[in-house]
Amino acid sequence: MSDLRLAWRNIWRNKRRTLLTAASIFLAVFLALIVRSLQTGLFDNLIQISIQSYTGHIQIHKKGYWDDRTIDNTIVYNDSLTAVVNRLKNVEITVPRLEYFALASSGMQTKGVIIIGTDPVKEDSLTRLSSKMVKGLYLDRTGRGVIVAGGLAEFLGLHTGDTLILIGQGFHGVSAAGKFSVRGIIHLPSPPLDNQVVYMNLPTAQDFFSADNRISSLSISLKKPDDIGMTMGELTSAVNLSKFEVMSWDQLMVEIMQQLKVKTASGMIIISILYLIVGFGIFGTVIMMTNERTKEFGVMVSVGMQKSRLAMILVLEMVFIGLTGALSGLAAALPIMAWYNFHPIKLWGAMAQAYLSYGIEPLLPLALKWGFILSNFTAVMVIVLLTCIFPVRRVFKLKVVEALHK
Amino acid sequence: MNIIEIRNLSKIYDEKTVPVYALNGVDLAFKEGEFTCIVGPSGSGKTTMLNMLGGLDSPSAGGIRIGDTDITSLRSRQLIDFRLRNIGFVFQSFNLIPVLTAKENVEFIMQMQGIKKDQRDKRTMELLNAVGLADKVNTRPGKLSGGQQQRVAVARALASKPRFILADEPTANLDSKSAENLLEIMEKLNREENITFIFSTHDARVVAKARRVVTLEDGRIVADVSKN
Repeated sequence: MSDLRLAWRNIWRNKRRTLLTAASIFLAVFLALIVRSLQTGLFDNLIQISIQSYTGHIQIHKKGYWDDRTIDNTIVYNDSLTAVVNRLKNVEITVPRLEYFALASSGMQTKGVIIIGTDPVKEDSLTRLSSKMVKGLYLDRTGRGVIVAGGLAEFLGLHTGDTLILIGQGFHGVSAAGKFSVRGIIHLPSPPLDNQVVYMNLPTAQDFFSADNRISSLSISLKKPDDIGMTMGELTSAVNLSKFEVMSWDQLMVEIMQQLKVKTASGMIIISILYLIVGFGIFGTVIMMTNERTKEFGVMVSVGMQKSRLAMILVLEMVFIGLTGALSGLAAALPIMAWYNFHPIKLWGAMAQAYLSYGIEPLLPLALKWGFILSNFTAVMVIVLLTCIFPVRRVFKLKVVEALHK
Repeated sequence: MNIIEIRNLSKIYDEKTVPVYALNGVDLAFKEGEFTCIVGPSGSGKTTMLNMLGGLDSPSAGGIRIGDTDITSLRSRQLIDFRLRNIGFVFQSFNLIPVLTAKENVEFIMQMQGIKKDQRDKRTMELLNAVGLADKVNTRPGKLSGGQQQRVAVARALASKPRFILADEPTANLDSKSAENLLEIMEKLNREENITFIFSTHDARVVAKARRVVTLEDGRIVADVSKN
């Protein structure tokens, strides 16, 4: 009779109590995993949307650009920079952009706008911009036609084929002014952007701002986003960091990341409360198991069992109950998580509309990450082991004669 | 040859408030192969004496030597190990491990001693045969009668090949037939295998079988009679 078998048999002395304790652990693990999986899936999706709709996984700028986004803080877009980036195996798409502000005017209306000059083909590969067109034609690489965001077009009373006048400040203080034909109208899901953005191809923007061959950012999309750390490392060692800044998506989306952190923390607090309640349940079981067997502990020590071995058997008993609950919770949650990871939940109503307006399918995949599966499993087992402190202390303080008279 | 020597043994409870002498300067020795009863009224110190002999409780004064070992000088771990290898216990209320079968309860002690499985199996079967429970090897204590459980307890006490067995009121919870049967088994083991038994008891049947009767009163030995 090994200690393992003895511990296993001991936990089934009171089947109902063991099953209830294991069931509470099962429920806690199951709920925690599903909630975390949903939350992580949602957040990953949001991040993915942000990456795919604009930022990319990594951006390269002139050093200091992100803190002072002016037309003078731009970089020369030349072969040496593209050669450095394209050498990296993990790079899938690079999108050069030149962005700055200008005044847009049509008829009697004038408004401040964001001008985004970009490579139409590469931009479309990263953000699927063409899918957001509502009227007219998407950008081409050579023409001077622009596409205007829907809210802005409405404010300025613009339609396809109309003329848009742009006035602003170019590179090194040169004045920028020009007339552009409206090629198409685009709907951007973010209202602030929909009321402000004008897209044009990169050469047209460079010409308008007198910023020949200059870009404000080079967005990079990765083949394997999980390897971003390695790629960031390669990039930072490959570019001259006294001239350039290399930023990952989480550095580019600080506000979003902070919001997600707050939401993750609140989720963690709820899960912690759940685990605390379960912990007290387990502790109750431990107290009962210990108190009702004090005499038996006395007998075992009397006949020659070392207290350390007895304590180990008690720990094993609790570990078995913990494992039974945690593994069954895992076994129940994993197929659900895996199924909805490969077959994402189809969203409906306003949420689905919001996704569609981003040009993204309204699907919510559940995350399937070993990190949080392992952390939840570990949390339960740590709680179980903490509850073992009580019986272990009791055994080591056991007075055999008193125990035998219980 | 003495296997146990007790010198000036005292146990005082509530030493700081109102001292109660459970044992008061007891000197006693036990020889190998004895079948001895310790008798006396309730509170006379019988159980305290057995607890001291078994190393379950520590004396307030005096010493206990078992073989060459002064057990009062042993540390907790050493004492537990000493008990495992030298002393067998039979308790009043059997105290078998309820989740183990009769065989496993007996085998458990030998496993703690580190004896190999084939040797354990052989000795377990010998012992259960000796106590007449060869047909109950796979039965758990809950399905055995009180007498059967106490016989398993005797087999368990013998499993470690101890120097002596301490039995605290072993027949107190048994009907007369089971008690008689148990006593016969223990007497036979004593006679045929020279196993030393020391009982504490109120039971006249046990006293009648004993070859030496030590009487305690108020923690002192008032009589020590050997029968021939």
